[in-house]
Amino acid sequence: MKKVVLRVFGMTCNDCVSRVRAGLLEREGVLDASVSLKDGTAVVQIDEGVVRPDDLELLPVFKGGRYRAQVRSVE
Amino acid sequence: MNDEYDLVIIGWGAAGFAAAIKASEITSGQARIALIGDGPLGGTCVNFGCVPSKYLIEAAAEAHAGSRHRGVSLARPSVDFRELMNGLREAVAGERTRKYEQVIARYENVELIHGRASFVNDREVVVNGRRISGYNFLVSTGSSPVIPDVPGISEFMTTNNFWNMSEMPSTLVIIGGGAAGLEIGQAMSRLGSEVHIVEPRRLVPPHADPDASSIIARSLQADGVRLHLGFTAARAEDGYLIIKGNGEELRIRADAVLVSAGRTPNVEGLNLDAARVAYGKNGVATSRTMQTSNPRIYAAGDVVAQRFMLETLAAREGAVAAENMYEHLGIEVNELEFPRALFTQPQMASVGTLEDECAGCRSKSVPLESVPRARIAGDTDGLFKVVVDREGRVVGVHVVAPNASEIIVEGAMAVRHGLSLSDIVDQPHVFPTISEGIKLAAQSFSRNVEDMPCCVE
Repeated sequence: MKKVVLRVFGMTCNDCVSRVRAGLLEREGVLDASVSLKDGTAVVQIDEGVVRPDDLELLPVFKGGRYRAQVRSVE
Repeated sequence: MNDEYDLVIIGWGAAGFAAAIKASEITSGQARIALIGDGPLGGTCVNFGCVPSKYLIEAAAEAHAGSRHRGVSLARPSVDFRELMNGLREAVAGERTRKYEQVIARYENVELIHGRASFVNDREVVVNGRRISGYNFLVSTGSSPVIPDVPGISEFMTTNNFWNMSEMPSTLVIIGGGAAGLEIGQAMSRLGSEVHIVEPRRLVPPHADPDASSIIARSLQADGVRLHLGFTAARAEDGYLIIKGNGEELRIRADAVLVSAGRTPNVEGLNLDAARVAYGKNGVATSRTMQTSNPRIYAAGDVVAQRFMLETLAAREGAVAAENMYEHLGIEVNELEFPRALFTQPQMASVGTLEDECAGCRSKSVPLESVPRARIAGDTDGLFKVVVDREGRVVGVHVVAPNASEIIVEGAMAVRHGLSLSDIVDQPHVFPTISEGIKLAAQSFSRNVEDMPCCVE
């Protein structure tokens, strides 16, 4: 298991937090996600055998709509 | 406020501005951006390049205006050079304020930091002793004039300070026959200076279509510009510049000297090694996605090791760098799609490849004399040349015409979208216009255009 910190852009309300979290959890291999509106970040627990950290940036929730993500650290 | 940013942009010219704005748009204004620079906002184009030179050219064209038609005569205009240059500087300041200062002030997420940045490592730069850290970086420091070594020369201008001039020099020697030298040279000649242009190569501007270059050289000479092709500046003494070439030595009176011998990427002082960014004397190495050897660090604009130094290319590269940072799309930039122009009279504009750069390519050209509108206007110095590859796709268009910089966009569309000759021929044009020349050049691959009446498809 790995902990991935994402910088998330475009969130302006708690509804955004829920959408980003749901979008992360939709992906197979994402075990848990904690999203902060104040910091503009998401801390994501992943099974690295199923999903790579960089794949998170390309999830549908970060494409086309208003949210964008960048991997900032992987532990 | 801490000094941690999502994006640190080094250089606030066209590339840096485009990146800052695109990054702000993509991230809904949430990316915290440091925009660092040490010259006037906007960089070379607005302050020292395209904008002031176009102002000078327009003013000189008015001073030079004459009638080409029987029965019309114009009074000879007078030139107050000091006032002209005051107007020029006001125009530059106005453009800088409107298109840069006021624009960036609307972005609260962008902080302007004045000074020179130097990398400490690949996460940090130092500016005037202040440490600034970032996740992504964009190197967009632009370029500077190359100063050739001419013994004895003490006072000279570059395109950075030429615009501060108030007195018109009676003789102006321009070292370098590139775009800036030719544009300024023709304009100053038209305003009343005796202008000499010294260029070691035989073509002006260098790296252009040879037929197009010949027309430009003839036009400048007809305007009174003395072109010394094949000559280099050897030394300066007692107000004279000694030039050598073609087995002879000439002594030219030089009240003022403008060095316009190309530009070099601004990589010095950045300490790029500390950031593991590969570079050479030709600039920073990037992929076509504008990524450097360090994947989190991008570069854009004149500082990139590439063929062209263009405002439009810099702006595209800056925007694409930002898109690739935040959209993860791997968008590529193809610099050959960018049209470039020389704003002399006539103008020269090109897009894509030259015929001799492209194995298996063919080209056809028609003189501007073949275009009815040019004959009506009495302005027939020019040509249209189209280059096609083995598959018949248009890969290069070269135009010399009064408004070539406007017309070339049709050629740029053709090159960018891989259009064929018949795509251009089938495209309806307006009669009578200069832009019909590109259609005639495309038709000339299959018929003699002199045997055609007007508007034949």
